[in-house]
Amino acid sequence: MSQREISAVTRKTPLEKFKKTMRQHGIFYLFVLPGIVLLILFAYMPMAGIQIAFRNYKIRRGIWGSPWVGLENFAFLKEKYFWQYAANTVIIAGYRMLVTTPLPLIVALLIHEIKHPKYKKLVQSFSYLPHFVSWIIVAYMLHSMLALDSGIVNSTLQKMGLKQIHFLGELKYFRHIVVWSSAWKGTGWGTIIYLAALSGIDQEVYEAAIVDGAGRFRRIWHINIPGILPTIVILLILNMPGLLSAGYEQIMPLVNASNMQHSNVLDVYIVNLGLSQGQFSVATAIGLLLSVINLGLVLGTNAIAKALGQEGFV
Amino acid sequence: MKKRREPKRDSVALLYDRGWKNGLFNAVNYLLLGLFAFACLYPFIFVIASSFNEGTDSLRGGVFLWPRKPTLDNYRAILKNTNFWSAYRVTILRTVVGTLGSLFVTSIVAYGLTDKKMPGRSVILIFMLIPMLFGGGLIPGYVNLRNLGLLNTFWVYIIPGLFSIWNSIIFRTSFGSIPDSLKESMRLDGAGEFTIYCRVMVPLSKATFAALGLFTAVGHWNDWFSGAYYVNKQELVPLQTLLHNLLNKDLAAITGRDMTNKIQQLAEATNVGIDWTSITSMSMKMATVLVGTLPILLVYPFVQRYFMAGVMIGSIKQ
Repeated sequence: MSQREISAVTRKTPLEKFKKTMRQHGIFYLFVLPGIVLLILFAYMPMAGIQIAFRNYKIRRGIWGSPWVGLENFAFLKEKYFWQYAANTVIIAGYRMLVTTPLPLIVALLIHEIKHPKYKKLVQSFSYLPHFVSWIIVAYMLHSMLALDSGIVNSTLQKMGLKQIHFLGELKYFRHIVVWSSAWKGTGWGTIIYLAALSGIDQEVYEAAIVDGAGRFRRIWHINIPGILPTIVILLILNMPGLLSAGYEQIMPLVNASNMQHSNVLDVYIVNLGLSQGQFSVATAIGLLLSVINLGLVLGTNAIAKALGQEGFV
Repeated sequence: MKKRREPKRDSVALLYDRGWKNGLFNAVNYLLLGLFAFACLYPFIFVIASSFNEGTDSLRGGVFLWPRKPTLDNYRAILKNTNFWSAYRVTILRTVVGTLGSLFVTSIVAYGLTDKKMPGRSVILIFMLIPMLFGGGLIPGYVNLRNLGLLNTFWVYIIPGLFSIWNSIIFRTSFGSIPDSLKESMRLDGAGEFTIYCRVMVPLSKATFAALGLFTAVGHWNDWFSGAYYVNKQELVPLQTLLHNLLNKDLAAITGRDMTNKIQQLAEATNVGIDWTSITSMSMKMATVLVGTLPILLVYPFVQRYFMAGVMIGSIKQ
């Protein structure tokens, strides 16, 4: 046979190629299928729903039946109350980030310095507990511990003859309560990643440093921190979206009449506006704006990190 | 003469970290961390103590670590509430079904993706990466659930969570560390891929399954939002949502009975041996909190060691 005839015989038709692929990989495609279907249903279809922000959405008419109104729904940008809520959001989120970013790192570094394995394990075990409790439960705990008369803080103050503090009823305490209960819930858990990264540092580096006379603080500053810098940077980038979201899961259970001025944050507003009041279009518009800014923050932080010489996330 | 043992590697520091500065550092460190650990633990102790204390007594303040006037009445009262049992049932059901379902679906998709030569694999991977960067948002998500007919059904708790991109990445990493030779030899023996999944992948990734299973279960158990906004029927309300509803309400709502009805009060008191007059809204809430968190607190010590391993796998990937 000529070369041509041989390749004509061995070349497969598209149908045969398909059959061969299916025989070799068919079952794996089957395994992957549910993931693809579920993502289409619950991740990609809502993306198509983003256009609600540009329509005057009425439930009865559905997405496609609702009239297009362009940027009309973004009129909230002109309203004073919107910027008030935005300020509330950024203040709480920023304050929280300032507190909850360094804390797990510091605590991890400290835990790493404990030499007794039993004490180390004890501290760690207790520190993970708060993470597993829901925000509702946290709200209950706060209500009971900070209450007038019966709460532990106030009853101690009472016994000492001091004036009680109405934590839950005065506006000025709200932000601190939110931020520090976040810290309580997340610090222990946050140390896990840092401790894992710390344990990955080569022991020989420590030994060399000790031989050179480096004391404990020197070692922490020159070995521990640089050693886990990539982890710190990645976590920082991943936490960037947190700057815009004050967290409705945490805040909604804590809202009461006296703290509304500070507790009205954007994500809570979106939930109330959209799900309780049915104003889907405007709520979607606000949400879209926040998402876009979030994406910008993540990509921006990522780019800055890369420019500074660190490995980014994307 | 004592046999000199080889010092463990990380005790080299112990040999050199001497002197009063280090001693001080250690002392302060241990103290600080001890306080930290106590602060993490204390709210739980307070809730437990309060829940076992007579409500009216708690109002006087001063109950810190243990109940002053112990009673089981707070618990007796909530356990009589049918709303409570219904909510507990919903939560348990959704946690079990949701977690097992999610573990199965996510891991099997991950296993499918370990087939590196699969045509179009990179397209699929990108397809799965995009939703991690960008999403539809809360409202479009809600509208979507509505269009799919999932609102106000039990399945709204389960189906959206069946596949988790993040978890599938972790599974994929975990499966990837299992040597191909193992799979090859099973294939040569005529085993189908599903058999390989069951006999090889799952048993060898027990730590990952345990860790991710715990996280998923906790997510289900603690979710109060879906129950508040995605369902209406009382029988579909899960525990955390019930707690959320009760947070600012009073005794009547919790017990499901009208406390202003004195006659009913007396009847209840004599019938079931509960001293209703000493129960306050707060003390009952404390009991409800404990019952709502108890399963997690019980399971926690056992599963603790597994999630350390699971997170390690995730962090090594970076």
